[in-house]
Amino acid sequence: MGIYPKSLERLIEHLSRLPGIGQKSAARIALHVLRSDKQLSEDLAMSLIAVKEKIRLCSVCFNITDDDPCRICSDENRADGTLCVVEGPGDQLALEEPGTFKGRYHVLHGVLSPLDGIGPKDLKINELLSRISKEKIREVILATNPTAEGETTASFIAGTLLKDRLDLKITRIALGVPMGGDLKYMDRMTIEHAMKSRMPVEL
Amino acid sequence: MDMHISPSIIMRIKEFGESDLIVTFFTRDHGRIKGVAKGARRSRRRFSNSLDLFCLSDVEYSLKSNGDIHFLHSSKLIKPFPGIRSDFSALSLASYMIELTEILFPQNIVEKRMFELLKNCFVLLSQGERMDCLRIFFETKAMSLGGYAVSLDKCCHCKRIYSGAGRAVFIPDRGGISCLKCERESEYSIGLEPEAVNILKTLQSESDGSPSEILQLDMKIINKIRHLLKLHIDYRIGRKIKSAEYLDW
Ligand SMILES: [Zn+2]
Ligand SMILES: [Zn+2]
Repeated sequence: MGIYPKSLERLIEHLSRLPGIGQKSAARIALHVLRSDKQLSEDLAMSLIAVKEKIRLCSVCFNITDDDPCRICSDENRADGTLCVVEGPGDQLALEEPGTFKGRYHVLHGVLSPLDGIGPKDLKINELLSRISKEKIREVILATNPTAEGETTASFIAGTLLKDRLDLKITRIALGVPMGGDLKYMDRMTIEHAMKSRMPVEL
Repeated sequence: MDMHISPSIIMRIKEFGESDLIVTFFTRDHGRIKGVAKGARRSRRRFSNSLDLFCLSDVEYSLKSNGDIHFLHSSKLIKPFPGIRSDFSALSLASYMIELTEILFPQNIVEKRMFELLKNCFVLLSQGERMDCLRIFFETKAMSLGGYAVSLDKCCHCKRIYSGAGRAVFIPDRGGISCLKCERESEYSIGLEPEAVNILKTLQSESDGSPSEILQLDMKIINKIRHLLKLHIDYRIGRKIKSAEYLDW
């Protein structure tokens, strides 16, 4: 404490509050900012403020976006009729990365978590239901994470959807052995799922 | 550092930093412990998906002598309780059991019987046992183990021994029953049929009964015991249990 000038000290303190940045990395970043030209600081400050001021939720899919509706919701080349339901914006980004899914998304903003006092009303589930009828959805892909709360959220949504739409196709992302995985170190549950969802070999 | 391996129920998990998890777990041997699992979100070998909520896992950990954050070295899944992972009511009841356990057992209070109770109730819940009965079963036994058993032996006012035959009245602020001479029945001091008192006695006793014993009862008695437990827990705990909101019974 107190070995740097006050303004530098303050920058280090703010940086070290960010996830994954400890005291040492914070000091390294702060010193780098100090040595760089002023443009870097200005750009950095402006982009930090822009994130807070410009980013909002898309009124259709509830993903974070600069423009409403978001890029994916306003893209006419994406397939209508298929909706992929995810927990949060980070999950949507991960699914979008391979570029193979051409449908649309719906972001729940969390999972059912009674321990934390989060119930169905706290997630974007009602919004999902109204999209299903409005957008003539035929398939819903439930892509919540395979945790206790993610699984429960998926089955809760499936149950709710099927109550008034028996013709709706509902699928769940597969659970199994990951790339580069080793069966010896897999847990029982994963192995059970992997065996259950095995696929015919195509040559 | 002293290392231990204990079967444990995973109570809470929280992401920490880039790849760590802060895990709260109820061990058979050292009670409730909170610790950091370094690299748990990356290491498939050391933790192999065994740190998910409500799982029963063998956890290898070491206790630090100062501070309340300990270390998890590895863990292995024993039972994932699939029935709790796919049903919102079951998940809510499991969460309620965890919350009540947290309130009754502060960190590092050792109680093997509480671990066994939690484990057995998760087994029953996952097997599809009736949830209203399971809730009563858990509440009665957990409150007893936490030191808040309802005293059913004698009248809390005149100390007359309860014979097990007549009606009695439950007095929340005394945590026990009274005879009808000393107290009148009211909305707050509910009257109890002898069957209700005897069932409570059986549930509180050390012997491992099963919820199906309560299942034999008619709904009137179940509802009475449920009402009594609500008054009792509200009075003794004195704070809101978040997950109770999602229980329909
Ligand atoms: Zn959108
Ligand atoms: Zn009396």
